[in-house]
Amino acid sequence: MTEDQQLQLQAFSDGELKGRGAREVAAWVARDPEAAALLKELRNTREALKGFAPQSKVPVSRELYWPGIERRIRTVERERAPSRSPEFLSMLRRLLMPASALAALLLIVTIAGLQSGLFQSAHKADTETAMADSGTFTYQDYASGTTLVWVGYPAER
Amino acid sequence: MAETDHSSADDGALVRAAQKGDTGAFEELVARHRDKIYARAYSMMRNEDEALDLSQEAWVKGWQRLNQFNRKSSFSTWMTRIVINLCLDELRKQKRHRSESIEEMGEEAGGVERQMPAVTANPTERLERGELRQRIDEAMRGLSHEHRTVLLLHEFEEMEYKEIARTMDCSIGTVMSRLFYARRKLAGLLSDLRSEN
Amino acid sequence: MRLNFRGWCGFVAAFCLLIPFTLLAGAPKESRFEAFLVWATNGDDAARKPVTPEIRKKLKDLPLKWKNYFEINRTGLSLPPGGTQRAALSKKCSLELTDVDGKHLEIALIGKGEPVLKRTQSLSRGELLVLGGNAPDETGWLVVLKRIE
Repeated sequence: MTEDQQLQLQAFSDGELKGRGAREVAAWVARDPEAAALLKELRNTREALKGFAPQSKVPVSRELYWPGIERRIRTVERERAPSRSPEFLSMLRRLLMPASALAALLLIVTIAGLQSGLFQSAHKADTETAMADSGTFTYQDYASGTTLVWVGYPAER
Repeated sequence: MAETDHSSADDGALVRAAQKGDTGAFEELVARHRDKIYARAYSMMRNEDEALDLSQEAWVKGWQRLNQFNRKSSFSTWMTRIVINLCLDELRKQKRHRSESIEEMGEEAGGVERQMPAVTANPTERLERGELRQRIDEAMRGLSHEHRTVLLLHEFEEMEYKEIARTMDCSIGTVMSRLFYARRKLAGLLSDLRSEN
Repeated sequence: MRLNFRGWCGFVAAFCLLIPFTLLAGAPKESRFEAFLVWATNGDDAARKPVTPEIRKKLKDLPLKWKNYFEINRTGLSLPPGGTQRAALSKKCSLELTDVDGKHLEIALIGKGEPVLKRTQSLSRGELLVLGGNAPDETGWLVVLKRIE
């Protein structure tokens, strides 16, 4: 049996083969005792592992485990927030009132600008136009920010 | 001031509370799932200190990324994925410093396990559960990190080949070879036990 | 609400500082892109250059059937605000980009001189647009567009 055949048998056992591939392997197993024996071994091994997920317990008590996590969370959150001196904070507080008034003024200007067309709208729907009858379809992977557009336009040799 | 009792809340409610910054709710989640997360880390690293460190790191990452939890899987499955990725990163770092043993190179090439005749006896027949567990643990310890990881991800995380390949950043062919090798080695080791008995 | 003299000074100073900043931030800048022509295959080709790890990782997340991706060509495009740029990726394949509003792009794929696809979308830094189709011998061609700036 070749390495490829062994891996095909494993894929069949794991349900990774579908349709014709699976039927071909099933037919092969039915006529080849060596293949049938290997398939049986793979299934027995899988059966043996079922229900034996590693079960180690945390070797320290909750009272010791959680504080370690809590400390790291606090460190991470502290690193995220920039540190400020007390003087800077009191200066910020003094500017709070005028800063709020300024923010309100900018908001009014922005709304007026948008309504008058001074600023271009940031929102535009994605559109797509196939120039030929190419049978395109679009797939979007939001997690990675990738858009796939598949066209039925074949490349020539 | 009375503290909120989180022990009766379900995971969903605890996650929602933790997403709003309730560390008490998050602590309850840690208490409920810490053994499972630690067990996964230990099964991959085979080192108690590293597993402890990485499992705690996983919880911190879980806290940071709570708003990304989309409820498509259970919370414990989501956390398990985080700890698996941390362990894989650590194993990759260690591999850069570790010299590859001849045994490991033999494992990658397939070694004698490819050629050995099929073991037809079922290792679960007439074996006590406790004994089988012990022997499986021993056999898993005998595998390299890569082979053990691929077996763990397939058998216990129920990932498909494609997902394992993505997680381990290798090809599907490599996943299949490693899985096959790991299973054959395990079959060989478990059959030794049966013949001893 | 009563502001003291110091408060009013702070208000006027902040307002005056913000005006030029807002104007500068709003000023349109040139956008830069990188486009790759990629060959997708399940075979191996030691002679060809694999795509960058970043692109490989993103392609592996897509529902494509291939294991290996090789970079056939790469080109940079600089797009002034409201402008159009065309770049040839091969003798038969070109990509034309038009800046629509600073955020949205019109992307046209041209094959053998004929337009194949035209698409308008936003493309932020770090995002990829992948255009693709089948090629002979069960391989595939991909055009990968990435915004750099």
